[in-house]
Amino acid sequence: MPKVEIEGDKIKVDLTEPEIKQIKGLLEREPSITEWGMFDVMHSEHCSYKSSRPKLKLFEDAEKNYDYVLAGPGQDAGVIDIGEGYCLAFRIESHNHPSAIEPYHGAATGIGGIIRDILCMGVRPIALLDPLRFGPLKNNPHSQWLFKYVVKGIADYGNCTGIPTIGGEVEFDESFESNCLVNVACIGLGTIEDFRHAPSKAFHPGDYVILMGGSTGRDGIHGVTFASRTLTEMSEADRPAVQIGDPFTKKMIIEATIEAVKTGYVRGLKDLGGGGLSCALSELTGSGGTGAEIDMTKIFTREPGMNSFEIMLSESQERMAFIVKPEGLENVLEVFRKFEMAYAVIGRTDDSRILKVYQNDNLVVNLPATALSDAPTIPREEKRPDYLDELLSQKTPKPSLDIKEIIYKLIASENICSKEWVYRQYDHEVGVRSVVKCGDGDSGVLRIIGTNKFISASVGVNSKHCYLDPYEGAKGGLVEICGNVIANGAKPMAMVNCCNFGNPEKPVSFWYFSQAVKGMADFCKELRIPVVGGNVSFYNEDEVTNTAIKGTPIIMIVGLIEGEEKIITLPFKKPGNDILIIGDTNAELGGSEYHSVIFDLEGGRPPKVDEQRIKAKWNFLYELYKNDLVIANHDVNKGGLIITIAEMCFKNKLGAKLDFSEYYNKEMRQDEFLFSESVGRFIIETDSQNYERIIGLAKKFNVKVNKIGILISNPEIILEGLEIETIKLDIFQMKRLYDSTIPNLMEI
Amino acid sequence: MSIKIAVIQFPGANCDLDAVHVLNSVINVEVNLIWHNHFKASHYDGVILPGGFTFGDYLRAGIIAAHSPALDEARKMLKDGKPIIGICNGFQILAEAEFLPGALLKNESLKFVCKWIKIKVENNKTAFTTKMNKGDILNIPVAHGEGRFFTDNLKELTENEQIVFRYSNENGDITSESNPNGSMENIAGVCNLEQNCLGLMPHPERASEAILSPYGTTHGKLFFESMVDFIKRRIS
Repeated sequence: MPKVEIEGDKIKVDLTEPEIKQIKGLLEREPSITEWGMFDVMHSEHCSYKSSRPKLKLFEDAEKNYDYVLAGPGQDAGVIDIGEGYCLAFRIESHNHPSAIEPYHGAATGIGGIIRDILCMGVRPIALLDPLRFGPLKNNPHSQWLFKYVVKGIADYGNCTGIPTIGGEVEFDESFESNCLVNVACIGLGTIEDFRHAPSKAFHPGDYVILMGGSTGRDGIHGVTFASRTLTEMSEADRPAVQIGDPFTKKMIIEATIEAVKTGYVRGLKDLGGGGLSCALSELTGSGGTGAEIDMTKIFTREPGMNSFEIMLSESQERMAFIVKPEGLENVLEVFRKFEMAYAVIGRTDDSRILKVYQNDNLVVNLPATALSDAPTIPREEKRPDYLDELLSQKTPKPSLDIKEIIYKLIASENICSKEWVYRQYDHEVGVRSVVKCGDGDSGVLRIIGTNKFISASVGVNSKHCYLDPYEGAKGGLVEICGNVIANGAKPMAMVNCCNFGNPEKPVSFWYFSQAVKGMADFCKELRIPVVGGNVSFYNEDEVTNTAIKGTPIIMIVGLIEGEEKIITLPFKKPGNDILIIGDTNAELGGSEYHSVIFDLEGGRPPKVDEQRIKAKWNFLYELYKNDLVIANHDVNKGGLIITIAEMCFKNKLGAKLDFSEYYNKEMRQDEFLFSESVGRFIIETDSQNYERIIGLAKKFNVKVNKIGILISNPEIILEGLEIETIKLDIFQMKRLYDSTIPNLMEI
Repeated sequence: MSIKIAVIQFPGANCDLDAVHVLNSVINVEVNLIWHNHFKASHYDGVILPGGFTFGDYLRAGIIAAHSPALDEARKMLKDGKPIIGICNGFQILAEAEFLPGALLKNESLKFVCKWIKIKVENNKTAFTTKMNKGDILNIPVAHGEGRFFTDNLKELTENEQIVFRYSNENGDITSESNPNGSMENIAGVCNLEQNCLGLMPHPERASEAILSPYGTTHGKLFFESMVDFIKRRIS
């Protein structure tokens, strides 16, 4: 049921009673139909964060507490200073609901939206990353359809705009079968001067308001209200609420915007996304302390006869709003003409603090500029679900397969196997910055041309761990994603997150959200990682089956590497070198791939995070890096340590002779030991001559480091020092299994 | 005399800045990024049509750009014997504008493909290949959705030595496994009869710096060094 229904003169809004009362009290009159529509959109969960805002306060103030953070949460993107006059802007967002019913355009316009968020910080978008969640692919044509077209949507849009997709993550799990997750992240690079030029504010009266880009059509009306409720059988009928992307126009908008900002005459910049013009105009004037008079007839529409309600609420893609100094109007318009971009000067700012929109002589909108952005928050109840105790108490059954069979099965499982099928479809090299490419590292590494600096970025979280313990799971996600950038030689600089959860009106769903936020906030405070932005996607629930997704707080970390020689990659390099493991392996199998693939079991105790130990391990690794002691590095996650070692063997077709007799704690079952997903472990390759020195440093940093084997030229993994006799695993066979799973399922 | 090379910025081109970067910072020659409507042939010694998705490639890759006034200008350069290279979408444009023979069809897989592959040099006499040897194997990446070369004139192309590169394996064998898009006879790049115009699907500008190559190679540089060399010989 749509939130606003217009029947003749009558209008039905789905705002809460207190909201309606507050709005009428503020205006001292009945809002017009268009105004009702604007309030409805701006008070939607998607735009107002009315359920999540109280919890998001747990993240400390990044701008205040970290001197290199230039923009923190609440802005279109987080921005950090990376030195030498450059800054990075980045953000992550969800486009789950549209993608669940129209995967191709849903994913494509998700990319379009996140690019605009970065662009309106005044910088050039240089990289995309996409964490995705679907139902299992096997025997599931619906999941295959979603997966195929989401990937194609991302590829077609991202490739066309010339922004490389440098990383991502995919998990398959039943809970995402009808509510797939499509999160999209973008990184932008520019000078600090570029960023300072054009804030997302209209703070000067008398400036021109220009709408540039695509035309305003009837598509996407109420996209945000649609995204703020659960999917139902009727959702297919919501397809018109999904926007259609046009990556060519987006590419032209990128170039025209960057060139316009360079003129120095752009004083404010805002993209049109969720909430369309309503959102852009009210946020520009509201946060800038100004007002504006807008002439709606100037807006170029895709079809005649659109009414003011439709124009103000349209979420047509590929539009940007510019606030331009009067003396530079011609200069900016000249840029738009060069790129053959449509534009319209639609009004001017003033000092009234009121947003007025005229349609011919009719004043259709007359609202205080801040009225729309001041949605009240709603306190939500939280409740830990009853089923958790039983799930957490589940024990690892005795496997009927032998260890070798289990490893071969795991490496071919959907969540562990190679995602090459996905990243081959993404242009991950355009821009000539990609130094560590998809598949060669735990993170994507880009060079900053003109400096000796490199950035590293990774995204993800383990949804299964979060399901069993959202607090520890979110922390574990941070350990893993920070571990990804650290494994490539970077230091984590900042974090953004995208919280994907169920209906916040249900206490259990809200408890998951609340716990995950608390976990992220606690960890980031302790490890000194600024949270510079975030996005919340609620209502990821299917009313037909009455199931919510596994709450998934996706984490994105951006790190910095100072110098080409400090970049470290994943593949093992040279036979004879040592293989060391950093960190403890505990019997933490809850939510593991071992449980899920071998026993179809979801429960057990998931990994716990000890911040002090993590801190010590990271500092120890930085010390090894400083002394150039690490030749290859890979963090241990899904599937456990043998899977990690196999992945490191693949590229250079090497083998590993492993002896666990010193490292393996016999109080644990050997399957628990081998397939544990304890977080914060790294497998590193080092020169055996440096062994004593590394162990010395490990003692100094109070970190557990063990030599577990050496590299061999024969492509096999030999396992010794367990309770069973020697096991030999064939690297080529493992690689075949690793590579063929997704193509076999998708290429029919 | 100084050399000046143009990189044409078509609407939707997205490898334009990459080509400018390589010519500027790796090859160290003067290069202008020039908007397609503003391009004048007489100002330049050579021209690069970069990769991307000109005009979105919504109709057919390269077809709209092939009707840009820039192509009329480029045609003058073609006649004057100046070097012209079309990379990826640039190749598609040059094929559509009939500077080069053949057509580029949708990849056999029907999917975009981005990966490092190998090409074998078949003709080292063109304006862009003189720094290579016949039979050399080059490491270079591809990134395209419509790169399957097709011609109904294969015999003539072969006889006229217009086939400049073929996809191959590391031993130089022309195999179907090494063909990323299903191109006829593994053809990766072709030239015109006069050999001053080259089109290829792989991206030399992405293979010109060791730091970007998984093999530490700089084979892409050879294209631009040959081009500069060709210009120098032409104007001296």
